[in-house]
Amino acid sequence: MKSGVLKLVAKRLAIAVVTLLIVLFAVFFATSMLPGDTASILLGQAATPEAVAGLREAMHLNDPAILRFLRWLLGLLHGDLGASYANQMPVAALIGGRFVNTMKLAGITTLISVPLALTLGITAAMLRGSLYDRAVTVLSIGVISVPEFMVATLAVLLFAVYLRWLPALSSVNEARSLADLVRIYAMPVITLTFVISAQMIRMTRAAVIETLSTPYVEMALLKGASRSRMVLRHALPNALGPIVNAVALSLSYLVGGVIIVETIFNYPGIAKLMVDAVATRDLPLIQSCAMIFCLGYLLLITAADIIAIMSNPRLR
Amino acid sequence: MTMARAASSRRSFLGHSYNLVGVVASLVILAWTLVAIFAPYIIPHPIGDIVDDDYFGPMRQGLWLGSDYLGRDMLSRVLMGARYTVGISLAAVSIACFSGVVLGMIAAVTGGWLDSCLSRFLDAMNSIPSKLFGLVVVAAVGSSIPVLILTLAVIYVPGAYRFARALAVNINTMDFMTVARVRGESTVYLIGSEILPNIIRPVLADFGLRFVFIVLLLSGLSFLGLGLQPPLADWGALVRENIGGLPFAAPAVIVPSLAIASLTISVNLLIDNLPQKIRDRDA
Amino acid sequence: MNDKITNWTGADDAMVENAIRRGASRRELLKMLLAGGAAVAAGSVVLGRATQAVAATPVSGGNLKAAGWSSSTADTLDPAKASLSTDYVRCCSLYNRLTFLDKDGKTQMELAESVDSKDAKTWTVKLRKGVTFHDGKDLTADDVVFSLKRHLDKAVGSKVAKIAAQMTGFKAVDKSTVEITLADPNADLPTILALHHFMIVADGTTDFSKGNGTGAFVLQTFEPGVRSVVTKNKNYWKSGKPYLDSFEFIAITDDSARVNALISGDINFAASINPRSMKLLESQQGFELSKTTSGNYTDLNIRLDMDPGNKADFVAGMKYLVNREQIVKSALRGLGEIGNDQPVSPANIFHNADLKPKAFDPDKAKFHFNKAGVLGQSIPVVASDAATSSIDMAVIIQAAGADIGMKLDVQRVPSDGYWDNYWLKAPVHFGNINPRPTPDILFSLLYASNAPWNESQYKSEKFDKLLVEARGMLDQAKRKEIYGVMQTMIAEEAGTIIPAYISNVDALSSKVKGLEANPLGGMMGYAMAEYLWLEA
Repeated sequence: MKSGVLKLVAKRLAIAVVTLLIVLFAVFFATSMLPGDTASILLGQAATPEAVAGLREAMHLNDPAILRFLRWLLGLLHGDLGASYANQMPVAALIGGRFVNTMKLAGITTLISVPLALTLGITAAMLRGSLYDRAVTVLSIGVISVPEFMVATLAVLLFAVYLRWLPALSSVNEARSLADLVRIYAMPVITLTFVISAQMIRMTRAAVIETLSTPYVEMALLKGASRSRMVLRHALPNALGPIVNAVALSLSYLVGGVIIVETIFNYPGIAKLMVDAVATRDLPLIQSCAMIFCLGYLLLITAADIIAIMSNPRLR
Repeated sequence: MTMARAASSRRSFLGHSYNLVGVVASLVILAWTLVAIFAPYIIPHPIGDIVDDDYFGPMRQGLWLGSDYLGRDMLSRVLMGARYTVGISLAAVSIACFSGVVLGMIAAVTGGWLDSCLSRFLDAMNSIPSKLFGLVVVAAVGSSIPVLILTLAVIYVPGAYRFARALAVNINTMDFMTVARVRGESTVYLIGSEILPNIIRPVLADFGLRFVFIVLLLSGLSFLGLGLQPPLADWGALVRENIGGLPFAAPAVIVPSLAIASLTISVNLLIDNLPQKIRDRDA
Repeated sequence: MNDKITNWTGADDAMVENAIRRGASRRELLKMLLAGGAAVAAGSVVLGRATQAVAATPVSGGNLKAAGWSSSTADTLDPAKASLSTDYVRCCSLYNRLTFLDKDGKTQMELAESVDSKDAKTWTVKLRKGVTFHDGKDLTADDVVFSLKRHLDKAVGSKVAKIAAQMTGFKAVDKSTVEITLADPNADLPTILALHHFMIVADGTTDFSKGNGTGAFVLQTFEPGVRSVVTKNKNYWKSGKPYLDSFEFIAITDDSARVNALISGDINFAASINPRSMKLLESQQGFELSKTTSGNYTDLNIRLDMDPGNKADFVAGMKYLVNREQIVKSALRGLGEIGNDQPVSPANIFHNADLKPKAFDPDKAKFHFNKAGVLGQSIPVVASDAATSSIDMAVIIQAAGADIGMKLDVQRVPSDGYWDNYWLKAPVHFGNINPRPTPDILFSLLYASNAPWNESQYKSEKFDKLLVEARGMLDQAKRKEIYGVMQTMIAEEAGTIIPAYISNVDALSSKVKGLEANPLGGMMGYAMAEYLWLEA
């Protein structure tokens, strides 16, 4: 079985490389469809044809885009992410700090939202049809029905503007103690927990109910096995596949999808970086960000797949 | 399963004393659907007209839901917004879930290279953050209702696919599937009669969630300056453009939020209450 | 700078000042101002002046944290490339210009001791002595020549390459004298040198990430798209300045987030707030608003060389269809002044006040549209968040059109790429023009037949001739007369509709002192860092 897992991991790795390449090419073609290039966008209102031509020349943007892309890919093999078109800084330096920020925010949110969501989902499934179940269902949907920017703005108004308990901005470089850290991350983490928990709660609940109603579990229940025991021993392992899938998808959102939270709390992460990069048509930066999003996503779903396969003996 | 059995179960499901939550939920959905259809005939003011000198005006006679950030009538804008929120989201979620689920089941049943190719390609699609995808598409081809529907649908196909495939793969390993295969049933039969009925509940739950996500993504796009062309606005865009009224609890920002919540919660409650009945036919 | 306050006298200033000493509230003062006949809008400007008279002694020390509204990875410390307010603010804290504009729009000397010419063609710039760069190097004529000349190099990508193009000769006469030769006489050179892009950098600089200038602050941290921190330049040549120990600048793009951060105390200064946030700020204690009406405007451009703008009646109809009062009232919430379709704002000494704005008249508009035969057609109007308030303006014009059967199809397009892809190109579109200090710059950039940004493709030989004639003229009164005629020509003949001059409102904590209005824009023409101080 151990070698089976290793083989699986190896196969998955190969697949990951292929997927990554697909993404990089797709992103490349999508961005090359966008009107304008870095030179014309940097010049903005001053973008007369001569000025654009001059700047393009100076920025070495005259080579065909595909050539520059392939050159970037080649550099990537040597671990070089290239330099940003917009400000000539190395992409690695631009991404570095922001990537750490994104991971911090994602990590803290995960630590809070995943246990919370699983607990709510499983208990709701066990007490299916009860008032508790109804409440969890309505609340979880209610909470994601409110647009993210509304939750964030409301939280800021309440905790920063009226109560003055928390800062309105999440200035990461001002964190000096644990208390600071809590104050800085409280609101973004609450907002994101609101956003990603609902899907996990609902999928967990649905999956557990599904396995609880399979014939063998129903049989065991009829024979008098206790419900909570059944859930933990039999239903949960069998429902694990869909659950980890939902968790993986929700978490992948934390890598690249938190643009609104980053904007409202002025939190320097990589989602905002990529939006900037798209706005300035900064190819190396766009590609590098896309690569990070893709790797993060692949890592999560590969882990989810492996867990799913391990948990279902028939799939092994 | 025979047609007769399906028909009889449907009758009993309508004849059944449907539970209260389900009834309320479907009534809310029905109400919004009617509003969506008849909105142009019942709005008191054209949605672009400025009828109030003040902004974020309170609820009062004539302006039943107050005025928005420009002084336009909120009642008219919310009623018209129903059209776009219900219409665009429903169209997009239907396309996304239908294609995603069908592809997912095919991939699970067929396996092999088709499964691999589809999975790799859709995974690749899924790893691109949705708002960025929207941003790029709109920047490249402009923003119109068909473009929005298609973009939203494309964004959510991979998710629906992954979800359906994961479920279908589990079912595919069941003994009755092996039996059906040995019987020599076609892929269409396997998908339609063996897999779908067994994954329908989570798929519907997923449909409901995805509907919520699309409604929200539509509002998220408006946050980034994309979305419908003014003066049209979906509910999410209404919340966004009036967010400045939040400190004063202006109806202009509260009402569309409530509208979104009422619709999304109803859709999900209805779905939660449906599958029990659908499942009953197998019992 | 605000010609509406004609009956406002020094005595009134004194009255307000007295009232402040007595501890009058902001609301009472505004009432007093209204009773005095000044517009509420003008109120906050006057109020700011009086407040300063009370606490006129600057205090040194403290850290100011300010937030602008836009920032990206393209942020730069290269003054030639500066394109966002964020860049201007940072550059102003690090570098100096040869000249600058004071609050009355008059040109004052900064790094230059004098800028003189006999014929308006050959100019002599005498430099201030004893000025050093942050790295210790002395300021010399070579630095000035380098700083100005680089705008002509296409590879630099200067934002003012067009304006700089008239400077054809640069000569370092001696260590502290520079001679600039112009292609044609231009009496405005001293004012042109006050543009932010013409800041003086050290000779030979290629890497601008160090921010090595002669300015009031020294660069400590700069992360493009995130933040910058600058600290007091202890050797600054202006004695006593700056007052702040350090100045941090970030950008918060979300309007309400920026205001919330100010109220919660995360920042002391929020630039350019949304008029709709004023209610919230006024309900809170300890904040001030500072209003600047400079020449910024958003205009509706109808290209005269394309359908439907090539039908004169369509353009005439549109000018009547624009409800300027409603735009100022609803879209700008009163924070603007009604415009009369020409680019020289009331803040400028050359403004032609006799030229009245066109009145909103849907019947006349309909008459012209009917004559042009465009009624019943659907005409696309391109708007974007890139051009301030243009979407709201478009919706207001669209609604007015709908009432008379003129269907305008508003197309909102993304901000990024707007200037490159839609501005100047679409037949009917919105533009946004930043304040420029002189009519000559505005006309040469926007309305001359060969203007690079001729928004409506307006061509007039007479206009071109007047432009050149006025440019070399040293007689102010005569110039004002010619510029007045040219403003009328633009309002009547060009396809640009300028419904309003937009005011900028900065919000700040009451502890922040020293802020004044400036004709180059908000945040004291972006140069506030060296003038502000924090009350203990």
